[in-house]
Amino acid sequence: MASRVDVAVIGAGPAGLAAAVAARERGAERVVIIERAEQLGGLLPQCIHNGFGLLYFKRDMTGPEYEKAFIDMARSRGVEAMLEAMVIDLDAERGITAVSRRHGYMKIKPGSVVLAMGCRERARGALGIPGTRPAGVMTAGTCQRFVNIEGYMPGSRYVILGSGDIGMIMARRLTLEGAKVEAVVEIMPWPGGLIRNEVQCLHDFGIPLLLEHTVTFIHGEERVEGVTVAKVDAERRPVPGSDRFLPCDCLLLSAGLIPENELSCRAGVEIDPVTGGPVVDQNRQTSVPGVFAGGNVVQVHDLVDWVSWEAEAAGRSAAAYADKGRLKRADGVRVLPGKNIRYVVPQFISGKDDVTLHMRVTRPGLKATVKVGGVMWKRYRTVRPSEMVILEVKGQALREAGVKGELAVDCEIRGGD
Amino acid sequence: MSPRETVICIGCPLGCRVTAVTDRKGTVTALKGAECKQGQKHVLEELRNPVRTLTATVRTGDESFPLLPVRTSRPVLKVMLRPIMRETAKVKVKPPVKAGDIVIANVLKTGADLVATADWPAPGEGV
Ligand code: SF4
Repeated sequence: MASRVDVAVIGAGPAGLAAAVAARERGAERVVIIERAEQLGGLLPQCIHNGFGLLYFKRDMTGPEYEKAFIDMARSRGVEAMLEAMVIDLDAERGITAVSRRHGYMKIKPGSVVLAMGCRERARGALGIPGTRPAGVMTAGTCQRFVNIEGYMPGSRYVILGSGDIGMIMARRLTLEGAKVEAVVEIMPWPGGLIRNEVQCLHDFGIPLLLEHTVTFIHGEERVEGVTVAKVDAERRPVPGSDRFLPCDCLLLSAGLIPENELSCRAGVEIDPVTGGPVVDQNRQTSVPGVFAGGNVVQVHDLVDWVSWEAEAAGRSAAAYADKGRLKRADGVRVLPGKNIRYVVPQFISGKDDVTLHMRVTRPGLKATVKVGGVMWKRYRTVRPSEMVILEVKGQALREAGVKGELAVDCEIRGGD
Repeated sequence: MSPRETVICIGCPLGCRVTAVTDRKGTVTALKGAECKQGQKHVLEELRNPVRTLTATVRTGDESFPLLPVRTSRPVLKVMLRPIMRETAKVKVKPPVKAGDIVIANVLKTGADLVATADWPAPGEGV
C-alpha cells in the first residue's frame, strides 16, 4: 500500500464497522477495513430478523437495517474498505500480510490494529455425534445463509440441536417457509438463547423444546433420515432406555459460538481459555501492544448492540495508539471470575477509571447479587447464562476502596433457578 | 380463550410465567405470576392482541442477489403471519430498491406495509 495506514481493522462485520467509525471519529487519518468476503456487514445480511439496535439506536431493526446504518456511518466518516482481501498473517509488530485478487500480495504496517474477526459456529466435529456422514447436517448459520441469501431450502423436516439464538430463529424461519421443525433439542436444563426467542420462535409455532436431551445418533447413508434423541442425566450422559427416533432430513447445529482467533494467536496475543478470545484491558488492548480487539472475537455477546459498543472502545483506543505510538496498558488490576461467574471482560482494568464489566454467569438463578470485591454490589431479579450481565463500576469507588492487584467478582443467588 | 392461559412475559430477562384467569365472557379476572406492573400490561396485550413483526424475503429473479429481505413496517396480528408469508411468495421486485421502499402497501389490510430492509444493488467496494 502506497501511503501509511493509521488503523487497520480486520473484519467488516458489526464490530469492524463500529471500530472503524470510532477510530475515524477519534481523529485517525486513514482507517482501512480488510474483509475477506465480497461485501461489508459480516453475518448481518443473513440475519434478516428483527431485534437489533434496541439499545444502540432505540429502534427495533433487522440485521440488514442495522448493517446499513453502520455502513452509512462508515461511508460518511471516510472509512476505507478492502473487500475480498484475506489477512493471512499478523505478526507481533502489527505487520499484516494480506492477499487479494485485486491488490495482490500486500504487506501493511499500520499504526495500530483492531481485531474484529467475530466468531464461528461450533460444527459437528466439535460436538462429536456418532453416526454416518450423510448430507443434511449443517450449522444453523449455514442453513440461514441458504434460506435467506441464496434462496434454497436445504430440507423439509428439521431437528435442531442446541437452543442458541440462531437455531431458534431458524426454527421460526423454516416453519414460516413451510417446513416442519420436529424439535429443538437442548442438553442443558435451560435454553441457550434469549427468552424472547424462546417465546416468539418456538412457542408461537408450537415447536417442542426438549431440555436435558441430546442427539445420540444420526441415521441415514446418503441423506439424513432421522436422529435418535435421548434424555441426559445431571452429568449430561444419555439415560439408557430414554432414546427415541425423530424422523428428519436435516439436522441443524446451534450449539455455541467460538471466537475466531487464529490470527490473534499468530501475533502471540494471549487468549483467555474461558472466553476463547484475547485477554484485554479496559481499552480493549490485547497483550500485544498496538493490537486491540472488540466484539465477538473477544467474547460471544448476546446482543449486537454490545458488539458495536465494545468495538467502538477498541477503535477509539486504536486511534489513540496510532496517534502517539503507544497507549499505556491499563493493567493495574486483574479482574477474576469468582463464584457462579464464568468470565469477566475486560480481564484487566486500571483500578482508577470508570469501567463497564461484561460477564456471564455459570448457572441461572433468581434474586442474584453481583459483588465486585468490596467495591460495590448490584442486585438482579434474575441472571441466566444466555444473557450477559453488565455492570458499571465507578472509578471513584475503585479508588476509594484502594483496589490493587486482583479484584474478584462473585454472584450470589438467593432464589431458585 | 380458555379459562386459564399462561403467557411468558418477554418484558425483561426474568421471563415471568403469567397465568391469566378469565370468566366465561373472556374477560381477564386475575393475573398471577407477573413480577411487575409493566409486565401485567404486556401480558394483557399479548392475550388480547398478540402482535409480531414479520421478516421474510421476496424474490428478485437476479442470480447474484436472488432474495431481498423485507419486514412489516409495524407489528401485525400473529394470525396474519402465515397469510402474509403467502403474499411474499407472489411478488417479485425490480431494481433499484432502497431500504424502506414499500414492496406491498397495507399488506392484507393489516395497516402495515411490507418494506425492503436492504438496498439492491448492494453497496460494493469504495466505501
Ligand atoms: S412481568 Fe415484569 S419482571 Fe416479569 S418478565 Fe415481565 S417485565 Fe420482567
